[in-house]
Amino acid sequence: MIVCVAVVGHQNNPLYLQSFTDSDDDLKLHHIVHCSLDVIDDAVNNPKKTGPTLSETFLGLLYPSENYRVYGYLTNTKVKFIMVTTDLDVRDVDVRSFFRRFHAAYVNAVSNPFHVPGKKITSTTFAERVSGIVKSFGSSTPA
Amino acid sequence: MARLVPRSGDAVFANVERVNAELFTLTYGAIVRQLITDLEEVEEVNKQLDQMGYNIGIRLIDEFLAKSNVSRCVDFKETADVIAKVGFKMFLGVTASVTNWDADGTSCSLILEENPLVDFVELPDMYQGLHYCNILSGVIRGALEMVSMKTEVTWVRDMLRGDDAYELQVKLLKQVPEEYPYKDDE
Repeated sequence: MIVCVAVVGHQNNPLYLQSFTDSDDDLKLHHIVHCSLDVIDDAVNNPKKTGPTLSETFLGLLYPSENYRVYGYLTNTKVKFIMVTTDLDVRDVDVRSFFRRFHAAYVNAVSNPFHVPGKKITSTTFAERVSGIVKSFGSSTPA
Repeated sequence: MARLVPRSGDAVFANVERVNAELFTLTYGAIVRQLITDLEEVEEVNKQLDQMGYNIGIRLIDEFLAKSNVSRCVDFKETADVIAKVGFKMFLGVTASVTNWDADGTSCSLILEENPLVDFVELPDMYQGLHYCNILSGVIRGALEMVSMKTEVTWVRDMLRGDDAYELQVKLLKQVPEEYPYKDDE
């Protein structure tokens, strides 16, 4: 189950942060997202010297902890998507397809003429679409 | 010479030059956004959009008549049908339906199920008074004025404000008789 998704701007400013848990561990999740930014920075500044990683947007598993797995995705405009899940054995394919759909939702949200680039995403349509994607992620993963 | 047959909206649409829908949508969004920044008042933006539409309409009608081969409409009902089925299809790629005729046939509603202008758009609460697509009403008003019909076009329903469709009410105010610039005895 995905517990938290975040969109972070190119100056590491939060654009969108949504957690999907009933309990009040929002702060903890936000902390995890925050920590993973360092991992992303590290990955971006010290790229592996292999070819395909340059054009690869999917950053893979960033940050394994006891209860969570954190995955990252970096767009060409240096906007980061971060996803925190409680599933400890997620298939890479699922995560990739999740981020692809998430990216599509993000593109539509920033295409709204009333959205100011670099400001928080306030769109309700985006929020609904994201919850839809998050829900379907849970169901498509075999238990 | 053979009489030119009026062409259907689809046939015309297939032959006109087109632009990428996203470019179109984003350009229009940028215009509206800039107008809001410049004019600050939502009411002023509505007026300005209407005026811009009018200016487009009075030019667009010539292109429309030239490319669609539509002949003279016998009454306002036919006019409304042509706008909905051929006009909208030709310039926006969608068709509208015509309903809500009043008893004397001078007022009707054009209903758009989909509207390429508003892809991606979400109206923020502070601009709820904005008629985002007000340019369309101006276009219709301007175009009809050039074919000697004074009309009043108002928005009745707007999906951006939570309605289920886009509804434009077109009301025929008067038919201006065609005037010649010269008199017989001159």
